[in-house]
Amino acid sequence: MLRVGPSSGEIRNMSGEDIFSSRLKLLIIMAKAYLTGFPIGKYRKQAIIENSRYVFYHSLQLVNKIAFFKDQDLKVQAGIAFTDDMHEEHIFYQRTQLLAVMVKALAEGRLKGHFREKALKENLNRICEAFIFNFNVKDVKFLKVA
Amino acid sequence: MSQINITNVKIAVIDSDLLVRDFVSTVLMYCVNRDVLSFDNGMAAWRYLEGADSPDIIISEVDVSGLNGFELLAKFKEKHPAKKCLLMSANPDDEQLARDSGADAFLAKPVSVTDLFRVEAFVV
Repeated sequence: MLRVGPSSGEIRNMSGEDIFSSRLKLLIIMAKAYLTGFPIGKYRKQAIIENSRYVFYHSLQLVNKIAFFKDQDLKVQAGIAFTDDMHEEHIFYQRTQLLAVMVKALAEGRLKGHFREKALKENLNRICEAFIFNFNVKDVKFLKVA
Repeated sequence: MSQINITNVKIAVIDSDLLVRDFVSTVLMYCVNRDVLSFDNGMAAWRYLEGADSPDIIISEVDVSGLNGFELLAKFKEKHPAKKCLLMSANPDDEQLARDSGADAFLAKPVSVTDLFRVEAFVV
């Protein structure tokens, strides 16, 4: 029997945070596979669009949640300081939102041109740095065929 | 490990948690570039699985209503012994039970993208 996943001491139900983080990793893999020149295919395209939508709306919720605390009056009322960490998080989720838009556009064949691709690479690198996620798509054989 | 031809592969995901079910389905759809069926309970899944056009691989959460993952595994393997049944669970005690029940794989939760990519090992 094949066994995958965390060790028995770390088994638990999946939270919304687990799902978002896993979907963001999938989005990064999808973008990297595209940039490597791997084929997309009909259902892979559908999966890319579905995943982009999820990451976009979830990131939007997180951006709005952080922006709520950024409001000066609310900050004073609630006694919550808008910290540097929150600022970095705010930027991070805006970047993930942008990545979702870019990846959806590439699946739909709308991410054309050198500078758009350059912007995708830069955004991807910034997200991977902050998220500490390193994945080599060339190691995944099945991505090479559609 | 015996494998199934990718050109014909059909996969079904059974989990009552919509977020998990959609996530697993999206990853697998991306993996195999084929449509993936999904069901929110064991009974609805079984009604489809017992038909002739049954999927080649099913991935079921153990704790689902209707028929639980172990019941579904037993029925599916009885009807389609050559097909693959993978069980997912958030309960560590289910791992040994899955092994004893003849599951082809045990996916411990929380499952990651790379864990799900390993399901491809069942596909040529």
